[in-house]
Amino acid sequence: MGNAYNTLVVYPEKCNGCGECEKACAKAKADSTDIVHSRIKVLKNLEDEYFGPVVCMQCGEPSCVKSCPAGALTKNPETGVVEWDEDKCVSCTICTLGCPYGGIYYNPLMSNVMKCDHCGGDPECVKVCEPKAIEYKTEANVYKDQGEREDLFAPGLAACLGCNMEILIRHTLRHVGPNTVLAAPPGCVPGIAVVGINGFTGTKVPSFHPLLTNTASMLAGVRRYYKHIGRDVQVLALAGDGGAADVGFQSLSGAAERGEEVLFVCIDNEGYMNTGMQRSGTTPYGSWTSTTPVGSSLPGKSGDQKYMPLIMLMHNCEYVATAVMAYMEDYHEKLEKAIQASKKGFAYLHVFSPCTTGWRYPQEKTMEVQRQAVATNTFPLWEYEREAEKFAFTHPVDNPTSMEDYIGMLGKFRHLSKEQIDHHRNTVATRINLLKAIAEEGIKPLKAAV
Amino acid sequence: MPKRIVVDGNEAAAYGALLAKPDMCAVFPITPQSSVGEKVATFIANGDLKADLLDVEGEHSVLSMLQGGALAGARTFTATCGQGLAFMFEPYFRSPNLRLPIVMCIVCRDGITPQCVWGGQQDAMTVKEVGWIQMHCENNQEITDSIVMAYRIGEHSDVMLPVNVCFDGNFLSYAAEPVEIVDEEIADKFMGENNVNWHAALDPERPMAIDPLTGMTAPGGEAFARYREGQCKGMQNSLRVIPEIHKEWKELTGHDFAPLIEEYRLDDAEHAIMTIGSMTGAGKDAVDVARDKGKKVGLIKVKTFRPWPLKAMVSALSKIKALSVVDRSVNFGWNCGPLYQEVLATLPFLDKKIPLVSLIGGLAGTDLTIDHMAEAIKTAEDAAQGKVAEETIWLNKMY
Repeated sequence: MGNAYNTLVVYPEKCNGCGECEKACAKAKADSTDIVHSRIKVLKNLEDEYFGPVVCMQCGEPSCVKSCPAGALTKNPETGVVEWDEDKCVSCTICTLGCPYGGIYYNPLMSNVMKCDHCGGDPECVKVCEPKAIEYKTEANVYKDQGEREDLFAPGLAACLGCNMEILIRHTLRHVGPNTVLAAPPGCVPGIAVVGINGFTGTKVPSFHPLLTNTASMLAGVRRYYKHIGRDVQVLALAGDGGAADVGFQSLSGAAERGEEVLFVCIDNEGYMNTGMQRSGTTPYGSWTSTTPVGSSLPGKSGDQKYMPLIMLMHNCEYVATAVMAYMEDYHEKLEKAIQASKKGFAYLHVFSPCTTGWRYPQEKTMEVQRQAVATNTFPLWEYEREAEKFAFTHPVDNPTSMEDYIGMLGKFRHLSKEQIDHHRNTVATRINLLKAIAEEGIKPLKAAV
Repeated sequence: MPKRIVVDGNEAAAYGALLAKPDMCAVFPITPQSSVGEKVATFIANGDLKADLLDVEGEHSVLSMLQGGALAGARTFTATCGQGLAFMFEPYFRSPNLRLPIVMCIVCRDGITPQCVWGGQQDAMTVKEVGWIQMHCENNQEITDSIVMAYRIGEHSDVMLPVNVCFDGNFLSYAAEPVEIVDEEIADKFMGENNVNWHAALDPERPMAIDPLTGMTAPGGEAFARYREGQCKGMQNSLRVIPEIHKEWKELTGHDFAPLIEEYRLDDAEHAIMTIGSMTGAGKDAVDVARDKGKKVGLIKVKTFRPWPLKAMVSALSKIKALSVVDRSVNFGWNCGPLYQEVLATLPFLDKKIPLVSLIGGLAGTDLTIDHMAEAIKTAEDAAQGKVAEETIWLNKMY
């Protein structure tokens, strides 16, 4: 686990078809100017189907290796490269049929197959690609960084299919680690049996149900005592928006104001999804919920959502950030900062977490909904570091996509009138303008104003 | 040498905490409790008490932080009353179910509305079925000593329950009396090692899930019933433990308080009054006055109200022919005082039937005087002679 390799990553949209990579490869591998010897091929003239470089992807489970009857292809566990052994190869070419990507070729001039070997870790093709359509790098950073850490939830949590929260809590606890006391107030987190049911639990750290109202204060009490006796124990809240923004807000606000050393993750699915999709303080304007139904007299939720991240920023927390699981590396970077910050004061992560069941969208769209929320500036990604006095966007969106692209994905917004969509657009514009003003002015005058 | 000081009841409570040396003290103001928290905070600020001061944003968080601390292993202390207790109810309800031996004073205050910031036991009586042990104090010495003893009672392995040390707002909270503070070494010896979270802990070194969903299908519903049964057993066990701890405290300090109920001049009494809290002093004086006039009257003081000390009560009631019960709060469902109703439920356990009278007085900070207690004695005497008041008698009424 945890061993991610460098590979050749191709960006077909950047490729101009110049063919320099093929020439460089032929030169390096066969000392030839004939690109028939190149192990990378630029595909052209396929109309809309594909345009760009094709090269071996050094698959984790390579089909070429499986299909080779001579044992001539092997995956090198050290480098990740799929290696070809000329002495064993019988030139049957079955591997070229086995590869689904066209990454291994038959070279008619040499009468055998050939494939990319990364030039021993210094690929020539990358050096000559002017538009940078080929890069040699590791893509699987999350896997590399988190893979060796244990998933501290046993398999079998009872979340809905497509649930974003399950991904979030598994990644979070894996990163935070075993020296942790976990609080899961009423909601979807314990609803999927995180604390357990009837004496059984699959959570490998001490966990408990606080009340919906007292997550931050109970956790602060745990942390305080361990600090009192000189033990460093991480405390972590995995709370919903009700436990953070509604009835949980007083204890959250008090704990943040006192600078309690707590890592508080608000998993915002914009309503009480575990109890049947009722509205909360973070439910957006116009939303259908089971307590803001849509009918001839009512048009969905009448007020705007409470924007918790800025409210928490004004508590002078050590760290505040917004995040989505669709940008996983960004989430882990923020989580690491939050963990460190929570050793000195209050750290608050607000994670936008779509609910396939309550928001009414197909389960496979869970990540796409998040990307669209970011792309439309509905949920801007930013972070605030108190000590560094830094407020910054982590995924700035200068040219937001159409609000309809986001709203159109969600059943809870299906009934929205043009006026209601305009209201959304205005709310989003006001919010992003405010955030941009903070980012431009910097946090120092903001603190002075406090 | 023990130190003799003059302090009001709230300071006496803070001295109790000082002797017990809790690891965490949570403070939030509410009249007439506020100066308990102020005094404790001062002890901590001056380094007299090496506890963590939790200066939180409301009573709900007061008890929530103490629960978190206790689950990590801390000895904990706080105080509240009235609306503060009402606001705290959600975690309050849960403390005994988690079997956490938290010690909390209730500086008894009457309930709004009418808006009122003065003494009355409506707060403590309203939460009597929640599962905390309740001990009611007569004077400031009893407050200090009961707080120290409360830790040993709550933390006893056969008990494992939170304890309320209750005392009357205004009449004890602000009344100065001499109190003897025992030596630190004696208190330390008495307190011993803490015994807070051996049964339920939030500790990465011994991970467990606290309070998973429990109910419905087997073994959930059965487990739930077992927890409840165990909690009731713990309450009943405390009726054995409370006298043991009082005895141990008496042997170390010479301070002698009746652990469950106190019988005052009861052995040869024909009738009696029952009191709870600070009114007991006036009650005893009224009994003495009546005795001087040749009346065969006694008094039963309730120290431990929860759990209800049934056996001790049956033994005391067996000695008399009639009883008047003076309550400082109201049972709205029965048109009587809550203490009266408890005695009513005790009557079937007696060999004989004795008439009871309910009197309610001292609400909202009004005084219960020797004259009021004399009235209570008179109603008991009348009852013993067959003239039983049919309805609750309201003292300090506006006529």
